[in-house]
Order: sequence, then C-alpha cells, then structure tokens
Amino acid sequence: MPTEELFYLPISEVAKRIETKKLSPVELTQTYLERASKLGPKLNAFATLTPDLAIEQAKAAEKEIQHGHYRGPLHGIPYAAKDLLAVKGVPTTWGAKPYAQQIFDYDATVIEHLTRVGAILIGKASMIELAGGFGYRLASASLQGAAKNPWDTKCWTCGSSSGSGAIVAAGLAAFAIGTETWGSIVCPSAFCGISGLRPTYGRVSRYGAMAAAPSMDKIGPLARSADDCARVFSAIAGHDPKDRSTVPIDRGAFTYSPSLDLKSRPLRLGWLTNAWQKLDPAVAKPLSAAEKIVRKFFPGTKSATLPEGPFEDVANITMNVEAAASFRDLIRSGRVSGLTDPTSQIAGYLNEQFSGADYLRAQSIREILQRKMEAIFEVFDVLVAPALPVVATPLETNLETALSFADPLGAIGNLCGLPALSVPCGFSDKNLPVGLQFVARAGDDYSAIQAARTFQLHTEWHHRHPKVA
Amino acid sequence: MASAAALVTATGLPASAPQDSSIAQQPPQTSSLSPESQAEAEARYQNILNAYGSRFSDAQKADLRRMSLEAQPALDRIRAHHLENGDNPALYLKPLVEREKKPSAPVSAGAATSKKT
Repeated sequence: MPTEELFYLPISEVAKRIETKKLSPVELTQTYLERASKLGPKLNAFATLTPDLAIEQAKAAEKEIQHGHYRGPLHGIPYAAKDLLAVKGVPTTWGAKPYAQQIFDYDATVIEHLTRVGAILIGKASMIELAGGFGYRLASASLQGAAKNPWDTKCWTCGSSSGSGAIVAAGLAAFAIGTETWGSIVCPSAFCGISGLRPTYGRVSRYGAMAAAPSMDKIGPLARSADDCARVFSAIAGHDPKDRSTVPIDRGAFTYSPSLDLKSRPLRLGWLTNAWQKLDPAVAKPLSAAEKIVRKFFPGTKSATLPEGPFEDVANITMNVEAAASFRDLIRSGRVSGLTDPTSQIAGYLNEQFSGADYLRAQSIREILQRKMEAIFEVFDVLVAPALPVVATPLETNLETALSFADPLGAIGNLCGLPALSVPCGFSDKNLPVGLQFVARAGDDYSAIQAARTFQLHTEWHHRHPKVA
Repeated sequence: MASAAALVTATGLPASAPQDSSIAQQPPQTSSLSPESQAEAEARYQNILNAYGSRFSDAQKADLRRMSLEAQPALDRIRAHHLENGDNPALYLKPLVEREKKPSAPVSAGAATSKKT
C-alpha cells in the first residue's frame, strides 16, 4: 500500500524506483487513479479521468521496462493535461459549456511527445472557460466549477490552469500541463505552493491546443520542483512543423541534465523593485526572507527595474482582439451566452469593436518593449520578483476588483515571450503559499531553471505539501 | 481595461451584469475622459447594440456601456505613446528560408478534424 509520501515524491525519485523495477507503473497508475477519483471531485480538479487509457499506457510501460526498454525519467509517470489539449477520443471541453461535447480525433503535439517518452495520462485538468479569453469575474467561471485550493479548500487555486494547480498540489498526479497567456502558469503555481514553468513563446508546440490569444499563448509544466519542470520541459520542447510559431529546429529543443553544475555559469540576477506596487502583509515577510536567500546564494544580485510605459494596455488590447478573433463564431452565433461567467458572456462583443489600427499601434509599442527588455538582459541573466503580491483568495471573491492590481511584469513577460519559473518561497501566517518567480531572456529558459533550482537547493518550501483528507 | 487583472481576466475589462448585490460593480468613472473619448466609447457601445442589442438584458447593456467607457483610457494611452513612422509592429512574416522546405498544410486545432458530438 503506497504511503502519502509517494504522491509527493519528485519525478527523479519515482523514476529511479520505476527504472529499478521497485515500483510498478501499473500499480502506481492505479493508486493515482484511485486517489484522483476520491479527491479530485472535492477539489473540482479534473474535467475527465482517463482510466482506460491510463491503464493501457501503464501496462505498455511496464512491459517495456520489464524487457529492458526504459525510455527515460517520465516513463511510467502519471500526469494530467489541461482540458484545452486535444486527446484523441477523449472530451476536450476547453472548460466551457458550449464545447462540453467536443471530441477531437487526434492528439495535441504535447500529448504525443509525452506519450512518446512513456508518460501516463490519467486525466484532463479542469480550467477556466476558454482559458479566460474573455475575462471572468468569479473563480466559478468553469464548466467544472471553482477549483479549490488543497491548502485551504475555501480558497481558489488561480486560473486559468486552475485544475492543473490543484492536481499537483494535492498529489493527484506527478505533474500537470498548463498554459499561460497572461499569468495562468505563474499564478496557480504561487497560490498552490508548487513549481511552474512558463516556457519561452514558441518553444512548445501548440498544435492541438485551444487558441485564446495566439501571439501570447504558451504551454508549460506545473510540478513539484524546478528540476521536475525541467524534465517535463525537455520532453515537450521543440520545433513542430505543425505549429509555424515554434522556434526553428536548432533553437527549439531543450536538453536537460540535473548533473550540470549549477555554478558552471554564474548568473547575474536582478531583483525587481517595481514588479508590484504594493505587497500584501501576508506575503511581505516570506518574500523578505526569500530575498535574503537569493542575495546570499547569488552574491552579485543587484536591484533592477522594469521599463515604464503602457505595456499592460498593450497586453490587454492584444489579448482582447486576438481572443475575439479566436472565438468569432462563438460570439456572432450568440452561443457565447452559454458561458458561465457574466463577464465572459458579453466581453467578446466589446473586444470585437477595437480597431485594427489600435491593435497594430499596440504591436509597435510591443516591438519597442521587446528591444528595451533585450537591453535589460544584456545586464542581467535573470530577473527575480514575487510571483504575486497576495496569497490565495477566497472562492467567492470578486476577482475583477480584488485582483485588479497592476502587473507590469506579467504583461511584459508575456508580450515578450519571456520564460518564467515560479517556485514556493514561504507561507503566510494562515499557511497559504507564497511564490517567487525567476524570469529570463527569451530562449534562455535554462537560466530561469538554473536560478530556481539553486534557490530550491537551499530551501525546503517545495517539499511541503498540504494535508489532503 | 484599466489595471492588470490579468491573472484572472484576459481582457482586463471589469465587467458584466451583477447577479447579486455582493458583486455589484461600480459605476464607470468617466469624468476623466475627453469629450471625444467619451463620444468614441459611446459610439462603440451603440455599435454593439445596433448589431446585437436584442441579445442583452438591461443589466448586460449597462455593463457593456460601462466596460466600453472603462476601456477608453487604455486606448488613449496607447495612441498617446510616441511612435515614429518607421516603428514596425511586432508582427512580421518569417523569411521563407526559415521555414520547412515542404511545410505540411496548416491544420487548425479545433476546426477541420474536430467532432462536435
């Protein structure tokens, strides 16, 4: 009988047991499925469980490993995928009622990659409807209802990868795949006390993924540590002829070895002083302690500032216009009224009204911003900042007012396609997680991973997990 | 479109029809808009009503008007940002040499091969 600890082991440890045949992929998958069946509904974490597929994949993995064909560290590892990734024959609802019956007859490239390395898909993670493409007011803006935070089920996990966050935090899968257009990997990672990697734009194929804002959408892993994120990222990164937005072959793949010396390339860190206007007292104390750790283990760390400009406005109009285009038929047919959230039901009509001239002007500012950030990354390899200025909010919170603080780093990072890795860095007095994010130059995902791994080598926050009944 | 809210709203547009008093939105702060901006926001709202007016409840109409007004300052800021004629948008076609020699036909994820049952 597996102990609770098994569900929180890092991928490297589970992989070691699987490779040495001390742990059966079939038994591991069955125990995860049982746990997911029992606890998933309490957290609204899953859109669908895929037990038949999972057992089939697990049996195949076990057979291969028994015959000496071990594929690598994800072979036999159970995971969940956000419900906007196509899985052949399995409902893919995009978290939205109008698409509740949608089934694709092919796998998304990310799913194909994970299947190829032997990972086991145990289910589709719940999500905010249409990944929040039209905005939303309440955590319940999902076909599956509000995802509940395993650290406090009266609180939210944050969206739109809200189910992915709940699944990893509650130990319902070894890792999960999420997506971010603006904040949806960093935010649930911070609220749920887990590690999440938002890769460089174009590093991971989006073929078979729902498009919200195509110039900003990205796919990445949520897992127990930066090391785990890197292992998953190395499996899903790479050029894809089916997705023209992926970077060229020679710059797409990511090779990762945890044995690489973290000090082989000293990183120049910049601690951002203007990422947030104000920190909630609940996060200020843990973040102050985290800053001391960062400055101790990266002794050359200097203060840094983000460029100022209308970058959040640019990010907003970019998302609004692109989402309106992505879901044009949904809006014009009137089926958009079938969405759950009162904002989602009507915002698309307004977003259609913004002009092409304003959109292109925003893109010109975006180009200027990208050059400004290139200049900053001539000085720094990695920028560090609190992942969020608050801890997890109650489920019934009006998000449009309670979380309406300025987020220039989120806007800039996503407009410029910068990689970011959020890791837990402490807890509030009410035992809610606090996150720290490491942001690097586009294409330099490794530096964000290297910095976050170094932080986690000297901290224990990522080993904590909630007591899930 | 004011502040970030990006963690939860892709639009950043505070919006919609209050369904209960606890989440009622504030009336729009339009006093800072110039007459031209105010007129533009109202025209945008009217455009929506002209096309789709029968689809909305009175509360939704009020919300749409508020959202249109609240979106205006961001548009004004984007237009006020200094740009030169040669400042190109961050949109450009990749040179052909960067593409595959024989690219496969583009397939839209959700279109051709989806089965809506």
